[in-house]
Amino acid sequence: MEEDDQQKLMDLVKELVVRLLCQKGPNSVPQDPGSPQFHASLRYALRILSSHLAPSAAADADAIAESIKRHLSNHGKSSHALAFADLYTKFASKTGPGSVNNKFGVLHLLKIISEDRISAWNEVNSPSLLPNLECLDAEVGDRWRVSHERDNGVSLVSKDAESFRKVAFKEYADLAKEESEVSEELLVRDVLYACQGIDGKYVKFGTIVDGYILPDMVRVPRATRTIVRKLCELGWLFRKVKGYISESMDRFPAEDVGTVGQALCAALQDELSEYYKLLAILEAQSMNRIPLVSESANSGNYLTLRRLSVWLAEPLVKMRLMAVLVDKCHVLRGGAMAGTIHLMAQHGDPLIHEFMKRLLTRVCSPLFEMVRSWVLEGELEDIFAEFFILGQQVKAESLWREGYRLHTGMLPSFISNSLALKILRTGKSINFLRVCCEDRGWAEAAMEAASAAGTTTRRGSLGYGEKESLESLVDVAAKRIDRHLLNVMYNRYKFKEHCLAIKRYLLLGQGDFVQYLMDIIWPELSEPANTIGSFKLAGLLESAIRSSNAQYDEQDVLNRLRVKMMPHSAGDRGWDVFSLEYDPRVPLDTIFTESVMAKYLRIFNFLWKLRRVEHALIGAWKTMKPNCITSQAFLKLQQDVKMQLLSTLRRCQVLWNEMNHFVTNLQDYIMFEVLEVSWLNFSLEMEAAKDLDDLLMAHEKYLSSILEKSLLGERSQSLHKSLFILFDLILRFRSHADRLYEGILELQTRTGESSLASKDKNKLQRHKNDGTLENGSWTTEGRKGLTHRASEFLRNMKQDLDSIAKEYTSLLEGFLSQLPVQQHIDLKFLMFRLDFTEFYSRLSLKKT
Amino acid sequence: MDPEAARTARESLDLAFQMSIILDTGLDRHTLSVLIALCDLGLNPEALAAVVKELRTEPSSSPPVLPPPSSFP
Repeated sequence: MEEDDQQKLMDLVKELVVRLLCQKGPNSVPQDPGSPQFHASLRYALRILSSHLAPSAAADADAIAESIKRHLSNHGKSSHALAFADLYTKFASKTGPGSVNNKFGVLHLLKIISEDRISAWNEVNSPSLLPNLECLDAEVGDRWRVSHERDNGVSLVSKDAESFRKVAFKEYADLAKEESEVSEELLVRDVLYACQGIDGKYVKFGTIVDGYILPDMVRVPRATRTIVRKLCELGWLFRKVKGYISESMDRFPAEDVGTVGQALCAALQDELSEYYKLLAILEAQSMNRIPLVSESANSGNYLTLRRLSVWLAEPLVKMRLMAVLVDKCHVLRGGAMAGTIHLMAQHGDPLIHEFMKRLLTRVCSPLFEMVRSWVLEGELEDIFAEFFILGQQVKAESLWREGYRLHTGMLPSFISNSLALKILRTGKSINFLRVCCEDRGWAEAAMEAASAAGTTTRRGSLGYGEKESLESLVDVAAKRIDRHLLNVMYNRYKFKEHCLAIKRYLLLGQGDFVQYLMDIIWPELSEPANTIGSFKLAGLLESAIRSSNAQYDEQDVLNRLRVKMMPHSAGDRGWDVFSLEYDPRVPLDTIFTESVMAKYLRIFNFLWKLRRVEHALIGAWKTMKPNCITSQAFLKLQQDVKMQLLSTLRRCQVLWNEMNHFVTNLQDYIMFEVLEVSWLNFSLEMEAAKDLDDLLMAHEKYLSSILEKSLLGERSQSLHKSLFILFDLILRFRSHADRLYEGILELQTRTGESSLASKDKNKLQRHKNDGTLENGSWTTEGRKGLTHRASEFLRNMKQDLDSIAKEYTSLLEGFLSQLPVQQHIDLKFLMFRLDFTEFYSRLSLKKT
Repeated sequence: MDPEAARTARESLDLAFQMSIILDTGLDRHTLSVLIALCDLGLNPEALAAVVKELRTEPSSSPPVLPPPSSFP
């Protein structure tokens, strides 16, 4: 069998060789099997056949068929491919005796032969390609047609247009290659270098133009130049960002860049490292060619400039963002920087939004850290002045008002003003507690606050974007600390009690004490100011306290009450320099500051004066009550003197009544409608106060309302002056009234003495002992002289009283006319009290 | 060969010939049949293709000096 096969083989091979040699050309001579050429060829053929023992490709007929089909369709011969597919199907279906067993071999054979032919044709044809496309058409077309004609037996219709296009493309590619001096590969590499800020071989950074450009000397088509320029924008942006980062890093040791700036640099560097990764991948791609699907496509480099521009589109957007950011934040620091970045993050594009948000989380972390430590611990660790709360060194008593304030320049825009105020207040409270109240309890309050808000008191638990958690933390901390502070204020330092004490003593609320004090201090204060010793006054104060209900007050409160002598000038009486003062200590002096105490002093002075006037009038009343002396005098005198006396007395009484009416109503008004009402409002607000700021405001309101209503405000200056003139007048009246009654008493004693000389001397003795008279010269005169004297005296008194009365009336009228002009509604109540019978308004109407 | 087998063989040859036309191998029917027979006998198709190529593109050049052919299975 094998011999047969061998023989068959030889025969077939011989046959093949003959055939092939016959086919070589029209010039070939039909060979006969005996020629030496034939034998040589035969031997050659046998040699070739023996050297290949195994096929190189896998023995899979279907795969080969597929490959052939693809190949055909890739070269535009899709109809051929279909026909081939059809044929192959039929071919493969033929089985049984007589069919081809080694189908794979046949197909493989055909494929290789066809490829060989094509390559042979290409070798033949390529040298003849000329740059001139016009001649090419005809020539190539001829060749193609000729080649097709060579096919034995079957004529195929060749598609001229298709082949033209293929050839035309090839031509263009060659043209482009010739035009550019630099290959695209090198340009791509240069562009990649430029994107990292490094000058390439062709693409360099031109400082004048401020960009990466290809110098004009390099011959590149204009389109390529444009696209290189566009891609190098990325390099310019990169340089800018990198420049900022390195500049900031250089300024670190100089402590010029704050923590926020450092965080920004770190975040930018992270983004840049992402960018570097991308560039590394692109560079790797540009070095190695990625194998393509189509095996016989003659491709250049995979990474062309166009592909590069697609890849770099997204980094370009990001880099542009970073460059804009760098521009804006160049001169800013701290909270202002964070605020600017936040504003830039308000963007609709989700990519930009995400990017900015990432950046912001890093940038704001130092800020949030500062907020957290401030709110929970009261610590202000701000070396670079980036925080929006500024602290300064002040004395303990002004710590609350001036120790810390908001710096709106550094306030980032995502923290609202009210939140910032809350933050300020919380930290301020903690510091206040620590410094002024020496309280340790705030730490527990802070811990509770932190646990209640769900965060820890450690670092790094807050972040940007978690605005709700920040707000809740601040809220809870603020509430707790405020409550704690108010507790400390009320319970430990007894704020309410002190306030009440001030009201009772400085605002003359403790009536019995004031009365007693007034009584015993009256004679003292009438002396000139420089003769009064403060020790004496202090002693009097003590005795006043002890004899009134004030003695039951707390010792701490009583200790703080003192007599204060104001600086006096010549001619001052004790009345002008006397005042009481109350000593608030730390921390209450935050509320009762110097200016506040000065206001209290003013009110005290006014009230004291009012009391003095009232006291004077009451004293006058004491002497004016109907008593035996006057009635006796009344009886003893002659008719006309009697009339004089009557009228004088009557005048006195009437005047006194008026003045008393005025003073009493004023006093009542002050007492009830001003002081008590304001105090009630203040107590209500004290109850409702949530933090120390509220308390301060409430107290301010209380004081200012008192000032306003008691005519001590700025708008009531003129009224105030006229009021004081009235007071002076009343005091003058008092002295006149005193004199009058003294005179009457003197008169009485003298007349009583002369008429009662023989009568009841005991009565006289009694009378004498009562009064403080000197009965020197008068007793010697006769009755007539006495009468004359009396009438003269009375006349004088009457005149004085008249003048006083006139003055008083006019002043009061002036006062009352000015009252309605006042803005404050409560002064209308004063008006009503003073004029409820409309006596005065009718009077003024009559006059006009 | 029986007529069935003969017909099959003829059809197969036709199909193969048409395929070879599509692939533009430049082989005529007879050569193709010889080649198919040689393939069937187990010869390496790449070797056969090489033979075809060599003998075709050898325009009356003097044949190279060859060593005596070794026996092959």
